[in-house]
Amino acid sequence: MSEMRILDKAKLAEFIGKLGADFEVIVPRRENGNLVFGSLDHTQPVVEFTGKPLVPPKEYFFPQREELLTFTVKGKEIKVEAHLDKVKRVIWGIRPCDLAGIKTLDTIFLSNYTDNYYQARRENTILMGLNCNEPCSSGFCSPLGTGPFAKDSFDLLFTDLGNRFLIETGSEAGRELVASSADLFAEARDADKAKLKELEEKCKRAFESSLPSTVDLATVSNKLSGAWGDALWTEESETCILCGGCNFICPTCHCFNIEDVPAEQQGVSTRVRYWDSCQLGGFTQMAAENTRRTQAERLRQRVFHKLVYIPDKYNGAVGCTGCGRCIEVCPGEISITNILGRVMRK
Amino acid sequence: MRKILTTCEFCGCGCNFYLGVEDDKVVAVYPCASHPISQGKLCIKGWMGHEYIHSTERLKTPLIKEGDKFREATWDEAYQLIADRLQQIKERYGSDSIAVSTSAKCTNEENYLLQKLARAAIGTNNVDHCARLCHASTVIGLSQTFGSGAMTNSIPEIGSADVIFVIGSNTTEQHPLVADQIVKGVKGGARLIVADPRQIQLTKLAALHLSHRPGTDVALINGMLNVIIAEDLVDREFVSSRTEGFEELKEVVAGYTPRKAAEITGVPAEKIIEAARIYAGGKKGTIIYAMGITQHTTGVDNVMSCANLAMLTGNMGRESTGVNPLRGQNNVQGACDMGTLPNVFPGYQAVTNTELRQKFEKAWGVKLPSQPGVTVTGAINKMIAGEIKALYIMGENPMISDPDMSHTEKALKNLGFMVVQDIFLTETARLADVVLPGVSFAEKDGTFTSTERKVQRVRKAIEPLGSSRPDWKIITELSSHLGYKMDYPSPREVMDEIAKLTPSYGGISYDRLERGGLCWPCPSPDHPGTPYLHKEKFARPGGKGRFSAVPYRPPAELPDDEYPFTLTTGRTGFHWHTGTMTRKDWALDREYPKGYVEINPQDAANTGIRNGAMVKVASRRGEISMQANVVDTIQEGLVFIPFHFAEAAANKLTAANLDPVAKIPEYKVCAVKLERG
Repeated sequence: MSEMRILDKAKLAEFIGKLGADFEVIVPRRENGNLVFGSLDHTQPVVEFTGKPLVPPKEYFFPQREELLTFTVKGKEIKVEAHLDKVKRVIWGIRPCDLAGIKTLDTIFLSNYTDNYYQARRENTILMGLNCNEPCSSGFCSPLGTGPFAKDSFDLLFTDLGNRFLIETGSEAGRELVASSADLFAEARDADKAKLKELEEKCKRAFESSLPSTVDLATVSNKLSGAWGDALWTEESETCILCGGCNFICPTCHCFNIEDVPAEQQGVSTRVRYWDSCQLGGFTQMAAENTRRTQAERLRQRVFHKLVYIPDKYNGAVGCTGCGRCIEVCPGEISITNILGRVMRK
Repeated sequence: MRKILTTCEFCGCGCNFYLGVEDDKVVAVYPCASHPISQGKLCIKGWMGHEYIHSTERLKTPLIKEGDKFREATWDEAYQLIADRLQQIKERYGSDSIAVSTSAKCTNEENYLLQKLARAAIGTNNVDHCARLCHASTVIGLSQTFGSGAMTNSIPEIGSADVIFVIGSNTTEQHPLVADQIVKGVKGGARLIVADPRQIQLTKLAALHLSHRPGTDVALINGMLNVIIAEDLVDREFVSSRTEGFEELKEVVAGYTPRKAAEITGVPAEKIIEAARIYAGGKKGTIIYAMGITQHTTGVDNVMSCANLAMLTGNMGRESTGVNPLRGQNNVQGACDMGTLPNVFPGYQAVTNTELRQKFEKAWGVKLPSQPGVTVTGAINKMIAGEIKALYIMGENPMISDPDMSHTEKALKNLGFMVVQDIFLTETARLADVVLPGVSFAEKDGTFTSTERKVQRVRKAIEPLGSSRPDWKIITELSSHLGYKMDYPSPREVMDEIAKLTPSYGGISYDRLERGGLCWPCPSPDHPGTPYLHKEKFARPGGKGRFSAVPYRPPAELPDDEYPFTLTTGRTGFHWHTGTMTRKDWALDREYPKGYVEINPQDAANTGIRNGAMVKVASRRGEISMQANVVDTIQEGLVFIPFHFAEAAANKLTAANLDPVAKIPEYKVCAVKLERG
């Protein structure tokens, strides 16, 4: 059962600062005007912000470059050592879209086949969400049901009520953290709970007004299937420069490549896992070649994977969280909302 | 994880990103949303291209050649050997028997120090770098017409132009974040004209594609100028108040009617007329060019033709207009600015000018040579002639990047002494007597100057690997061994010295750069920098822009019965130059692991070459084998080979035919034959 508490904004630093004794604390930080996730260190977290860091927190579970294991070969003897990251972490300030992304990654990495590396990080990490009060520039979470307020997949969820946060617990671990700093928190009154409801309604309306009215998840999947052979995939992919950025910053993209980095002379060799991109010609080349030979097919695959295949394969899981990052990082100005808009108008 | 903001080490766009560092290792890249060029975006090299930093092939200790093998050496041993050998050669043959090649991959501070070492410690102006091979024609062509040999406008302005004319630039692959501005412009309603012998990605967005024969740029542009004058689309006010030489121009271009231009270029006359009307019809027309314009025996003429077009229509000195050469290397603009050219000190101050020379003599405390030195391409011939005995190369790989490889190899092997300072044992370094291990951009502080003249910080993210040393440190230590003391605590103090001696960098300091990059000219500490040039007057003496009446000259080597195809060379978006960095990266290597030649389907059918088959390509100078990519994006009679791949080196085929003024080689045109391999 979810519990609700109140924390004065001024006491946030104290609360997460105290956690630093037991956890590596990750917070949104402002660097050269950019919002990024980083260790708390000596700086204060950014408490009030619109939008989200450009790189989602998935990297704390599935890093860009991850040394899976090291091995040494001596004659016929091979010594292998796995590198499981069991550092205890707390991440504060995760937006609802990114919580939804983590939920999907959990489904992919922890259900049928368990990825030990993901599991080790995930089990040792506390997720503290932060609801959105204002729409961000390219997000479209509302029709996808992933925001602006989170429904699940958090240990604690923060909502900005002005000078204080309303906090909802989402797990036993979350309840324990609140209990361990009980003196910092106040009971949430009925007025606070009413304000939460009111804010949620207001935010939803604000988000709806910032969205292309043509997007509607209930029918988008069907519409997409009908647009499989449409010319729009060729047209929209014409400016793709093959950077892979749309995949790298996607909260649910999880494809990777594995490379062995050979030892220098008699040293230790390393097996490394890297983020990969389905937009590249070399993707899945270990199986001869990328079977999607044109950029149009690859763009279509990305959109279908997000909005048709993942929901289909994983029992309604969210493939696209509506965060809009793929629009922001695209050097070819390709926009998934434009594409969905075109599909919906068909 | 620490996140260090720095400037990308690949192209001239000057994107910024953060390097993520853990345990002194670069493990991640984060885009920088607040940066005006990258805006949170990166190309694949920016995202994935940094694996080479920790490559096991990195040089980590100095090497000295004994017999035909290298042995590891201490720094002092290597410095002493270099100093002794250079001193001997200098005493016996004079300072000008030594040449120095600096690097457009290295920082401004390093380029400044190396030209200072050449001039002050060795006593020669024989200092040059790879700009000779890419934009020497721009530096000369635009200096003579406008008074400044750089991009006239800044990158973010391109997105607001209403006409964009791209000629000889595969912008999407070579300057991806400039291409982003072009895409933005087109999506916002701008009209795009692309002139290129190949269909490039941008041609899909273009209102008009002019597929002219390689090397016919002057004829094409003269044809457009002819139409603009004939149809009275000239900006008369601009021409009369801000330029000179119009009458001579008019006379020459009168001979290039659309029909005549069509004959030379292969572009239908009506397309030339339409291009002229579209370009002249815009209020804010911008011209973007790169190697397709510069790497010709008519490179300077091509550049001047672009300038003619912009001035005739008044597309100069305003936002979102201008003539915009895209500089290839991350710091090729800076290397030029730093005077690593044989005729100028930093800031393009002529070595022949007594007053300027005295300024540097006073600052550096030594008498300086007054005659211009030799160019990179000129030096090769002097090595063969035995006049240049010693060569010092920092971060360049001429074996693969210079034209006519067997000629280059002969020249380098004829040297009495060669030193290479690099991060890998390149094809060139293998020929050296001493190899010094420098560091990557992640291991040092400094600045790069991007193609839009923007000076930006490069920040040290990790410690130098092994016993390698930052290149600036190597130069200062070597200089001291040569008896000319250089003493700088860090690159910051080098920049302070640059600012004192270089008027266009006068207001640049590390403190200011902490708040973001600055476009030169930035003459004083309170000057905000200059995004676009020539606002009220041109930088030439007298303040007027000069039209250059240039007649068309054909390329030096045209196809004939024996060598019936034209070869043009270039790059792909996935590799960098000679591949020493990018070919060590799994993601980039996976896209293009080996060399290839692009052939038109009709030519393939005529020669019996099938897609994917091996094909032998031969010129008068050499022969290479590689896979055929049969594509309909290339003209009949033309083949394209990227020069990244040492085992199928395009420059075994190219000719060292040079532009008479800029001495840039004609990489874009030579004659070859094809055979099934």
